[in-house]
Amino acid sequence: MKLIRLLAAAMAGAAALVLRRRRRRTGRLRLDRARAALRLAARGGARSAGNAPRLFAAAGERRQQLREDLALQTAEDVVATLGAMKGVMMKIGQMASYVDDGLSPAVRHTLARLQDSVPPMSPELAAAVVEEELGVPPERAFGRWDPRPIAAASIGQVHRAVTLDGRAVAVKVQYPGIAETIAADLRNVALLRRMLRIAAPAQDADALLSEVRDRILEEVDYRREAASQRLLAAYYDGHPTIGVPGIITELSTRRIVVSELSGGARFAELATWPQHERDLAAETIYRFVFRSLYQVRAFNGDPHPGNYLFQRGGRVTFLDFGLVRHFSPAELQPLMQMARTICVEHDPEAFRRSLEDAGFLRSGAPISTQAIVEHLAVFYDTLREPGPLTITSEYASSVVRRFFDVRSPVAAYISVPRPYVILQRINLGLFAVLGELSATADWRAISEEIWPFVRGPAATPMGEAEAAWLARRHAAAA
Amino acid sequence: MTADLYATATGLVERSAAAYAAGVPEGARDNGFFGPASVTWRVNADLASPVAGLRSLLMQALHPLAMAGVDQHSGWRRDPVGRLAATSAYLATVTFGERTEAVRAATRVRRIHDRVRGTDAVTGQPYAAGDPGLLLWVHAALVDSVVAAASLVGTALAAGDSNSYVAEMVAAAELIGVPRPLVPSSVPELDLYIASVRPGLRCTPAAAESMAYLLDPPGLDEDTAEIWQDVRDAAVAALPRWARQMYGYSAPPLTPGRRTEIRQSLGVLDAMFLGQPGVLEARQRISLRMRAARSA
Repeated sequence: MKLIRLLAAAMAGAAALVLRRRRRRTGRLRLDRARAALRLAARGGARSAGNAPRLFAAAGERRQQLREDLALQTAEDVVATLGAMKGVMMKIGQMASYVDDGLSPAVRHTLARLQDSVPPMSPELAAAVVEEELGVPPERAFGRWDPRPIAAASIGQVHRAVTLDGRAVAVKVQYPGIAETIAADLRNVALLRRMLRIAAPAQDADALLSEVRDRILEEVDYRREAASQRLLAAYYDGHPTIGVPGIITELSTRRIVVSELSGGARFAELATWPQHERDLAAETIYRFVFRSLYQVRAFNGDPHPGNYLFQRGGRVTFLDFGLVRHFSPAELQPLMQMARTICVEHDPEAFRRSLEDAGFLRSGAPISTQAIVEHLAVFYDTLREPGPLTITSEYASSVVRRFFDVRSPVAAYISVPRPYVILQRINLGLFAVLGELSATADWRAISEEIWPFVRGPAATPMGEAEAAWLARRHAAAA
Repeated sequence: MTADLYATATGLVERSAAAYAAGVPEGARDNGFFGPASVTWRVNADLASPVAGLRSLLMQALHPLAMAGVDQHSGWRRDPVGRLAATSAYLATVTFGERTEAVRAATRVRRIHDRVRGTDAVTGQPYAAGDPGLLLWVHAALVDSVVAAASLVGTALAAGDSNSYVAEMVAAAELIGVPRPLVPSSVPELDLYIASVRPGLRCTPAAAESMAYLLDPPGLDEDTAEIWQDVRDAAVAALPRWARQMYGYSAPPLTPGRRTEIRQSLGVLDAMFLGQPGVLEARQRISLRMRAARSA
């Protein structure tokens, strides 16, 4: 009778969540939880050695122990370990932690244990995957191959290698059979919906469902990740402070992605650096997020501290592009419209119309425009006026809190259309990170540099260096 | 109405998980009565285990005297969760524990059984929990259910492995007090034995009430109740047809799609179980020993 005990465990967490959805508690606890989650993430970063492109997986942020003594030896072992929804659950946990304000402790714990229950592949099994993908065993595909993984990924693991032409690389190898297993499990819509209700109770499960399924299916095809990373690496080539490791295309396949190995300090170490270093790093992260969004129409849905490597002078290397969302110009347009109408034109009625056009606000809602602006103003607080502004943890928390504030009369008329679901991570990820760094900058002026509808002058030394980089790009393109 | 007679199904998790984790020894001095190379250890890890557990309760309850003993003595209605947790603890210790631990646990249960005597109100027959005939039925129902559940929604055992499992489990029956010669030691013997008991089986009011409770335990939230439904459907579908008829359950055979769905629900349940303290470590201890046994 293991059954009942399983249920009760699971559902203690679920029940608490459901209850919470109906009767929202005060903001205080939620705020603490968001911050605790971030600190947890930062600690995870400190522990992990090596410069793997993916050191953390489900539920975020927790380094998986590499239990080599329990290594998976066959594809059947993989299915037994990650089949029957377990792989899907790990991915959902990972994503839910991006769109909700932190999973309940019970659910977070369960997901972390689930992740701990996945051992690495044995060296032979990993080598077999490489051989199936590249046609030759890893010792021949690479000049040097480290058979011991240096890190776990959610559905794979990372090995160090040196290419035949001498480049040090990180090789992410996918568990065999996992893509097929996950694809099959994603067909169980009823169960998925139930799990999303547990993992992300503040969200509309149906709206989230298709987005989550699409993103998971994309993520199990490493070619997609390689393409995203290649796109961003090409765009940021030569950038003064933003680094994206290049992809070794000829060695990257559906189940293997090979990228240049990068070095740098982890987030926890950055936190010990002087404030001006932290400010510079924050500026780079900010520029990366919004430049990628507005110029490359790409948003990395996984912007947590474990995916950054830091060097002095504001240099940041960005890792792991498994969860990148690409936007069409039509999808991006309303976002720009919203920022322009509220921040630049100061035209509340036009702002309201752009919200309605994008589907964020139900049209004809019986709510005054002023109330709508007040409800959403917190998202634009950092951009209202030029001048240096410090992003505090309190501010980051208030943004998160407002996002999930369902008690406001405005909330009933607001929803997040599917393409923008992943952007909630800007609030939960980016601002939480900046708040943790107590980062100060002229965010408005930096944004004006990046906004296509403003194209303001360089606002900081980094902005000048970036402008010079842009000029070189244009010259090279001409 | 019957639900009011029973306590709700909450609170079982911690105790049961702790019982399982504690039943898997650290640094074991011997391999117990089964050991890492046994089919028993392997099948115990199957995702279908919850289905096997529920099916075996459904089977066991059809014996009027076995049901009466549980119903009248074990605090079953007052604390069904505690009663099930105690059974989990016992089975974990017998399966994975060192020999001395298994013997000690069995001795404890036998002492309790000694005090359980009475008269079944339905058949008018006297019963004693220590009666080897009753113990054998409880044993056979469990062994049969593990094989049936694995075959329906888990990893089906090869014919040879099913026979090995039945033969290995003779040791468990002997521990609890059934003389070895009485215990079926192969699948055909097990089938024969069950067929021989069948004329005396029936669904008494106590069985109907108890199983109605287990199939739809009160106090579960909506999400849990949905997942429970999958376990219940599988357990009922895995019953022999005659047993379903005694209960009056109608169950069309599971389609392949439905079986896949149930397996997926079982995976979710298993993940939740893994989230309980000590469970992952206990499983890893078992895995490491099974591995060592394979490579030896």
